[in-house]
Formats: sequence, structure tokens, C-alpha cells
Amino acid sequence: MSVTAEQISTSMPPLMPPTEPPALGEPVPDDIETVGEVTVENPRMTSRNVGVMYGDKMGIEHVSLDIGTNEVLAMIGPSGCGKSTFLRCLNRMNDTVDICRVSGSIRLDGEDIHDSRLDVVQLRARVGMVFQKPNPFPKSIYDNVAYGPRIHGLVDGRRETDAIVERSLEKAGLWDEVKDRLEQPGTGLSGGQQQRLCIARAIAVSPEVILMDEPCSALDPIATARIEELIDELRENYTIVIVTHSMQQAARVSQRTAYFHLGRLIEVGETNHVFTNPRHKLTEDYITGRFG
Amino acid sequence: MAGEEHIFKRFDQELADLNGIVHRMGGLVEDQIAKAMTALRDGDVEAARQVVARDHVVNFLDVQADEQIVNLLALRQPVGKDLRMILSLGKTVTDLERIGDEAERIARMAIDIHGSDTPPPDPRLFSDAFRMSTLATRMLHEVLDALARLDVDKAIHVARGDTELDSEFQAALRRLSTYIMEDARNVGHIINVTFIVKSLERIGDHSKNIAEYVVFLVKGKDVRHVSPESIDTEELDR
Repeated sequence: MSVTAEQISTSMPPLMPPTEPPALGEPVPDDIETVGEVTVENPRMTSRNVGVMYGDKMGIEHVSLDIGTNEVLAMIGPSGCGKSTFLRCLNRMNDTVDICRVSGSIRLDGEDIHDSRLDVVQLRARVGMVFQKPNPFPKSIYDNVAYGPRIHGLVDGRRETDAIVERSLEKAGLWDEVKDRLEQPGTGLSGGQQQRLCIARAIAVSPEVILMDEPCSALDPIATARIEELIDELRENYTIVIVTHSMQQAARVSQRTAYFHLGRLIEVGETNHVFTNPRHKLTEDYITGRFG
Repeated sequence: MAGEEHIFKRFDQELADLNGIVHRMGGLVEDQIAKAMTALRDGDVEAARQVVARDHVVNFLDVQADEQIVNLLALRQPVGKDLRMILSLGKTVTDLERIGDEAERIARMAIDIHGSDTPPPDPRLFSDAFRMSTLATRMLHEVLDALARLDVDKAIHVARGDTELDSEFQAALRRLSTYIMEDARNVGHIINVTFIVKSLERIGDHSKNIAEYVVFLVKGKDVRHVSPESIDTEELDR
């Protein structure tokens, strides 16, 4: 995983269980003022009062935010603002960090993702993830995509596997470029192709939500444009949450934008409103390059 | 119209939407002028009132185009020919909106002229206005065509045509003053007709402006504030 416990301080108390989540539909605490509408009509995921502590250090606090079905939600903010931390809460990637303690409620299709009966491996199939640096397995292109469906038992036999590999690569806009060399290693592809392979790998297990953590930061502008176009196409079938350092990218690909600052969700709104008339001064200062 | 497709296809769609609004607006103001002039010729006060009432649609499209432009600038960060297209279309809608206002003004004058109890004016008072309206509407039609086809030669041709309209306007003013001298009872109507020919002259100016935006859009050269006759088409390619 891209963030390890070693990267944070190790002299921290042990992992503590998450606090009891509030009931579904519990109102957003109004003492924590996020500007804009945090709820949506048709949420795929809802988070209420989410906080993350890395030991005694606050990562994020009081984050309440809905993620709408078939929307691209962009999360922006300066380094260390908590946007990636929040993203990693959405499929419990923070579980892999020993000192990390998550509180509050996060639900997927109304189901509490911290429920002890919930299989976290299953959760991560439903909420897939694409990382900053393309990280294909050291396997063939074919096996990279086939791996997930196989371990989740989604396919039976070669023919079904072939079909899901082709469909996933097609959806990721990579099929035409690799169909004649499926047995070659995924690591031999260009950076942009590798990232699309990782997206194909995420798609292969039929997720509902795809989390993307800076998916284009290692790519050139043309490869970036192709990924952005892909994100726009994938929105038809998936819900996408993207963390990006590029405000321009957030503006281009998302329908809603959330601005984080020092672990707080400052403002959320429709992207065209956030970028033409942000309501919070911190948001305005950040997107106009007046802030630190 | 935007040329080759962008990798990010939504951008093309948004540019096409903006173009659609601008050309809808162009078609509408052409129709407004034509209807206003017909109402003037036929003494059809009701038709003239409809032109006045319809100006709000032009204004609505103006606002819609501006909203689309603000979003395109904020969300797509256009550069190069995309930037020039968006800036040119943004300026074009302003001129089209003003052309719409001129058409409305002509319609109001038609109401004034034909809607009062005074005897109807001698039709020859209008002859300059109709000649000018033919020239002005042709300029507008051709410049909208040049914009749709990104045709620089046609745009320059339109810009050069404004001189002819300006001399017609001067001639019209001279003739209208002789009518006042002939019969002072004409003065009320002639003041209205003077406003009409002024509006038509302005429509020519706005069309010329749009022609200059087309040159900027295609060639990236600013040809405003230079006489259209002195535009060197070879220089534009350098």
C-alpha cells in the first residue's frame, strides 16, 4: 500500500476500535460548518462526522459528506489537508495503518462499512482503488485483469475469464492497444497505459465506487487527458471519487468538488459553482492561488 | 467548427453548445430586423409590438451564452484556438444583443410612426431606410456565415462593406433634411426615420465588429481599429 505505518511516527498507541457509528440519517452536526450542501438526493456513500486520528495526531475531523451515485466527486486542498486520508476511509484502507483510528459513520448503499459482519475484502471489491503511481502486478496484462475476478470467484473457466478481461480492458480504453499482446508483462506498458490497466483491474471485479488517489500525477498531459476522458465515460456506470493536486483536473472531470483544509471539509458544491463563485474565503484563496 | 476533436470529448460538446447559442441568437436578431422593417413598410403596428416583445429572448440567449463562457473558462482552461474561439464568441454575443436592441428600436419607431393619429407619412421618407436595411442585413447574414465557416476572406469582405453603409447613412441624413425643408409638417416622422437609419448604421458597425472577431478567432491577429481596406490578407498568415 502506498502509505505505510513507517511513514508516520511509530511511537503511537495501538489500534482502537471505531466508535459506535451514528444511526443512518442522523443530521450533520451543525456546530461544524461545512459551507455548501454535503448531502445529495441519491447517495452511493454517506459519511457522517468522520474523524481520523494517527495516534494523537488529528488527520481529519467532523467530515460529513455524501457521494452521489454516478457522480465524479473531486477532493482538493493543500498537502496534509486530509483529502487522501478521507479517501482511504471509504474502503477502509486506513485499517492497514496500525496507529490509525477512524471514528464516525461511513455507509455504502446504506450499509455500515465498519460493521463487524462485513468482509473488508469484499468491501474493497465494491469500492476499488487506483493509486498515484501505476502499480500493475508483475504479471501479464491478462493476469493483471483476471486476478481480481479469479480470487473473488467471479469467473468460471477460461471463456468467462477471457470475456471479463476483454470487457474490462475495453471499458478502460486499453483493449485496442493491448489485444495482441495480452501475455506480455503489464509493467512493459507506458505509464499512461499502466494506469489504464490498473483502472481495468479495478473495473474487472465490478465495483460500485472507484477511488482514485492522484491518478494522473505521474503522467504526461496527453496520457492525463485520456484518463480524464475515461473518468468521464466511466461515470455512466460507476461512482468515482478522485483526489487531485491539480485544481484544473478537478474542474475538468468532476461534477462536485470538496475543498479540505487542515483536516476539515471546508466547502463542497457543484464544481462549476465552486470554481466560479466559491463561498468560503479559504476555498477562493486556494483555487485562485492566493494561499500558501 | 472547433476543428479536430479534443481527447476530452465533453469539451467539444460544450463548445458546440456555445456555438449553438450564438448562432441561434444570430438567426433570431436577423429575423427581428426583417420583421421590424416589414412592420414599418406595412404599417403593421401589431407585428412591430411582437418584435419589441421578443427582444427578451435575445437577452435570455445573451445571458445563457455568458454563463456557458464563464463555465468554459473556469472549468476547461482553454488555450490557443479554443481560447480565441471562446473570447470571440463572447464578444460576438454582446454585439448580437445590441443588434437585437437596434431591431427593437426600429420596431418602436414603426409603432410611433404608424400608431399615432397623424396622417401616414409619404412612403418616400422610408426609401433610404429600406436601402440601408438591405445592406445591413446582408452584412449581418454574411458575417454570421463567415463565423460559422471560419471564413476570413468573407469576414474581411463584410468589414469592408461597412463603408458603403456609412455613405448611405450620410446620404440619407442629407435627403431627410431636404424633406424637412420642403415641408416642416414632416418633421415628426423624419425624426423617427432618422433614428431608424441610425439603428441600421449601428447594425452595420456591429456586424463589422463581429467580422473582426472572426479574423482574430481564425488568425489570432487583432484587426480592430485599423481600416478594413488596409488589412493585408498575406500579413495575417505570418
